[in-house]
Amino acid sequence: MSATSATQSELRSESVTTTGGRRRTRRLRPRGLPWILPALVLCVGLIYYCIGYTAVISTWNWDGIDPAPEKVGVGNYLRIFQDPIFWKTIEHTVGFFVVTFVIQTALGLLFAVLLHSKVRLAVVYKVIIFIPVVLAPAITAPVFRRIFAPDGQFNWLLEHVGLGSLAQPWIGQESTALPVIMAITIWQWTGLTFVLYFAAIGQIKPSILEAARMDGAGNVRTLISIIWPSVRGTTLAMAILSAIGALKTFDVPYLVTVGGPNYATEFLGTYIYRKTITQSHVGYGAALSIILLVLALVMAIILQVRGRERSVMR
Amino acid sequence: MKFTLRGKSRCRSLALVASAAVAALTLAACGGSTGGSQSGGSAGSATSGTVDWWGWTPTDTATAKGYIDAFNKEYPNIKVNYKLVSIPDWQAALTPALRSNSGPDVFDIQPGAYVKYKSFTEDLTPVISKALGSDWKSKVAPVGVDGLTADGKLTAMSVGAVYSGTLWTNPALFEKYNLKPPTTLDEWEKVCQAFKAHNQGCFVQGAAGEGFDQDTLQAIANSVQPGLWTRASKGEAKWNDPGIVKTLDIWHQLFTRGIMQPGAVGYQQYPDANNDFLTGKYAMVMMGTWYTQYSTEKAMTAALAAAGVSGAKPFPILPMQFPDVAQAGNTSEMFGDSDFGLAISTKAKNKAAAETFVTWLTTSQVGQQAVADQLDDVPALKGVEPNFDTIKFVHPATQQAPVKGLLTKVTSVTEPRFALLSQDVQDAILQAATSTATGKATPQQAADTLQQAAEAAAK
Repeated sequence: MSATSATQSELRSESVTTTGGRRRTRRLRPRGLPWILPALVLCVGLIYYCIGYTAVISTWNWDGIDPAPEKVGVGNYLRIFQDPIFWKTIEHTVGFFVVTFVIQTALGLLFAVLLHSKVRLAVVYKVIIFIPVVLAPAITAPVFRRIFAPDGQFNWLLEHVGLGSLAQPWIGQESTALPVIMAITIWQWTGLTFVLYFAAIGQIKPSILEAARMDGAGNVRTLISIIWPSVRGTTLAMAILSAIGALKTFDVPYLVTVGGPNYATEFLGTYIYRKTITQSHVGYGAALSIILLVLALVMAIILQVRGRERSVMR
Repeated sequence: MKFTLRGKSRCRSLALVASAAVAALTLAACGGSTGGSQSGGSAGSATSGTVDWWGWTPTDTATAKGYIDAFNKEYPNIKVNYKLVSIPDWQAALTPALRSNSGPDVFDIQPGAYVKYKSFTEDLTPVISKALGSDWKSKVAPVGVDGLTADGKLTAMSVGAVYSGTLWTNPALFEKYNLKPPTTLDEWEKVCQAFKAHNQGCFVQGAAGEGFDQDTLQAIANSVQPGLWTRASKGEAKWNDPGIVKTLDIWHQLFTRGIMQPGAVGYQQYPDANNDFLTGKYAMVMMGTWYTQYSTEKAMTAALAAAGVSGAKPFPILPMQFPDVAQAGNTSEMFGDSDFGLAISTKAKNKAAAETFVTWLTTSQVGQQAVADQLDDVPALKGVEPNFDTIKFVHPATQQAPVKGLLTKVTSVTEPRFALLSQDVQDAILQAATSTATGKATPQQAADTLQQAAEAAAK
């Protein structure tokens, strides 16, 4: 039996089952379990176990080596809430999420709309926009360190276009280091936003767009009233991904600024690493990790629920 | 989709199987979760076998290979595999490796915070006693003993020491602009203004990293009040002592008076500051005795290539005394520690072979001569000096005397570098340095915060 016919057969069985056959239900349903068992064991055994073990460690005062860790209950959590650097990381994360999400969404949608019109060499533009997504931060970070160095190419460019007065050590001062990290992230992930919006716009029925045109809607009105509402699901997905991505941000700030200067680009991820690995406060780092997990879950639930509410209202 | 009762039952059975698997995993993981200090491994043969050595230094595998090749001339049947792990990744790689059964047999230990790995190391007191006799302490540099000893246990045997509190200069740039190395803070500022007038970088430092900030701060403190930094490190003086506040104030002035390069707090010493100095962008850099190696043609050529300067001619570099930045007439004395010691893991697979290698490199004349001739570390064994007849300087006429003088001078150094500082205090020093440098805190505020952090760390 070919794979296709087997699948069709399965689908037929499934169809019959859901319409009534109780015996078939019993016989067929559990057949799927062996297929998910490896993933189940892996997820429960590896990921959920690790989460559970991290929660246990978060109640210890432990350097990661001492065979007899000191149990401190919720002591680490209480210290975290009094830790100014922790609050700084939260502040950075919120600002980072808002700025990167808004700009990525705007740019991604703009590129997607433009490339859905009849643009010459569209494929080339698509590739150019998407390439940063596939580049590893480990490769791009040293390049950005060089570009934004005091004698780097960005300052060189500013000087050569008559804006030499704006030249400054971009990653060497607190006021500009975080915006640089945001700019790098936007450069890296706009390609993904673009691809998702490009696909979503492709799902809009041409007849709806034609009807809008016939009703006299111009480009901007069509974008605002037809396209933007039609890609709401994609925007919601991007919001969730961006929010979780902001909470998990590690590679770019760690590789470009090592969380500095003076914690100006410290995020939860880099702070967890600093506490756990560099400073050997493994219990404290574990408590930070649990807080990160809770924040990610809460963020995803809020965005999901808000998205559903809006869908229902519409 | 809903499960039927029977389906649920079968599902439960499978879930039980999965749970059992998870439990097994959990138990296995718990088994390896803590502890790790138990002695394992085997004695093995002292003249044959394989030894896995992990280190963050020697930072180039060619140097390590040179040591191993020299060792293999005496012990051809012991194979030593050197694994270089970069400093930023060191703790992340070593901790789980030591806790597992597949970690290194021999690994580097630095004095100070890294001695925390003591529960994974053999006590090497009997090993060094066997090699050098019961009066072994009189035969090795004291900085290689105290800093590597914890709870009465010699966790590692020092390979060599490094000392800091010096600047290195590019004399060609000073000659080009007819300038002299500065001896005071005012002179330093003037020299930097002169370099700047010629669009030439003056002094470069990676102020984003704690170790090198500490070096500069300790050097400043030794100009303000000799010995104060060490007393604060020991807890005998407070970190918000007026002398330390003045130290932070002078540190701040390095930024405000145009001595430190723009954006220094975003710079790493390696590779940023190192590369900028080696490529001639700056005339001075804060480095210690480990930089002596770059006075040789071979190491300088390799360093230039690593800095991305292809085909560049090696140029001579010279050590210079740290300026009297407090302008109080104090000579800013140097300070140092063992660069690294070699520890033998309690889980070493072949302890006898590991002991042979560690003993050879740290206590034998041949091993220590190999270390000395690299001009990277000052040998741990007293009486061993670099063989300057075989060392090829870039410009022997100007370099040999200052380098010899520096290596002679450090033999009388008594102040430690990192050995007395816990990781928490080092982090607090970095925070004090960056917050002062960026103007986020006054020297007094930064010193007070540092003192609070040190008190919290001591609890």
